[in-house]
Amino acid sequence: MSVPLSQMWAVASYVVTQRLAGRTRYPLVLMLEPLFRCNLACAGCGKIQYPAQILRKHLTVEQCLSAVDECGAPIVSIPGGEPLMYPEIGRLVKELVARKKYVYLCTNALLLTAKLEDGVFEPSKYLSFSIHMDGLRDEHDEAVCRDGVYDEAVAAIREALRRGFRVTTNTTLFDGANPLRVREFFDAMMDLGVEGMMVSPGYSYAKAPDQEHFLRRRRAHELFTQILSGPKRRWKFNQSPLFLQFLMGKRDFECTPWGNPTYNMFGWQRPCYLLQEGYAATFQELMETTQWEHYGRKSGNEKCRDCMVHCGYEPTAVNHTFASWRGFRDTVAATVTGRF
Amino acid sequence: MTDPESLEGWVPEIGTRVSLEEVIDRAFDYRGNVTVVRADGSELEGYVFNRNRDVRVPFIQVFDRAGDGPYDILYSDIRAIRFTGKDTAAGGSYAAWLRAKQASKQRPGTTPAPGA
Ligand code: SF4
Ligand code: SF4
Repeated sequence: MSVPLSQMWAVASYVVTQRLAGRTRYPLVLMLEPLFRCNLACAGCGKIQYPAQILRKHLTVEQCLSAVDECGAPIVSIPGGEPLMYPEIGRLVKELVARKKYVYLCTNALLLTAKLEDGVFEPSKYLSFSIHMDGLRDEHDEAVCRDGVYDEAVAAIREALRRGFRVTTNTTLFDGANPLRVREFFDAMMDLGVEGMMVSPGYSYAKAPDQEHFLRRRRAHELFTQILSGPKRRWKFNQSPLFLQFLMGKRDFECTPWGNPTYNMFGWQRPCYLLQEGYAATFQELMETTQWEHYGRKSGNEKCRDCMVHCGYEPTAVNHTFASWRGFRDTVAATVTGRF
Repeated sequence: MTDPESLEGWVPEIGTRVSLEEVIDRAFDYRGNVTVVRADGSELEGYVFNRNRDVRVPFIQVFDRAGDGPYDILYSDIRAIRFTGKDTAAGGSYAAWLRAKQASKQRPGTTPAPGA
């Protein structure tokens, strides 16, 4: 695992504090969506299909910060839309860093080089660019439905690393992914020098243009077993090894939908980052009035049946690590040996 | 390309074949603007981004066509909803891109536009 020690410590002490306080439901990562606009239209994306007046809107920095304070999670992930299209992204990140939040700015990187050259961001241990990379050149350009994006993203990664920024990648895999090519892709990202990688199967968004290639659970286990068996020592993942074991079918976790709560211009999204079953006006209302028992695999909810997405299951893996000595031992063992 | 399953243009008659709750659920799920007709006959065109039927007084929330709002409207104050705006989640943008990509493979040097 490649998460820096200070970040691991911040998360560990946060989880232990929550548990000691007797809280059973607490957030780990706030998914903060300041806008839905994007400069791409990826095949598997269900996040950007809105009428023009919604795409023109965005949250204010003050609305974002008040959501961050309300939620209290130690990590803030900024997806979108494309957050680099948010006019106040520099100020937002600066404020979050000042609050000692670990920020993952999830971007397709098309605007990253320009923003770096304009001095919009300063390197910090609290800031990591999480670059959307769905594979090597052919696979990535196909996933984002535009040629040339892979090369632009690679150039931006190089520039960010050269300037001393933390850079990770996030990869969504769909049915038909070639395990050997994915392994080559991991090598390529490590060659570039990124700090770590995140992988997840895609979610079957009802609104996504491509409805054919979402991974069903059994197929996902097969694919991730092929990809992650015999992992190379040099591969570094910026996510829990227990989550990777879950993807391979070696562990059976239940979803923790409140682990990565989502805030956007509509409010606090119920129940998770993927489903939109309604919105709560406050974080407290979200936590107290969402019928959590209706979600997750055991609930029998059709929409959750095949979901193995990191936003629901990574929090479970992290909680598992700190819930028992066994979970902790397994995490340490996988981290030290580099095997899943 | 239009999606045959899209609700774009739908003008449901509430009460005969579909209930108000059902139409509201469809409007909430719809990724386009709709026109909400209130009991007093006034209309609001916009995007229904929320509905809460699990409270004592169920309501919907709307951003209007200018993006202003949110406007809260009680279920009991809704007479009709028309699906007047373009369904932004409909249509085969991906299929169209694949077709363009296929064509560009036969004509080297061309790149399909995003969402083409
Ligand atoms: S997946 Fe990301 S980059 Fe692609 S269209 Fe959606 S928000 Fe934009
Ligand atoms: S299983 Fe997936 S879709 Fe269902 S609540 Fe969890 S994260 Fe959301």
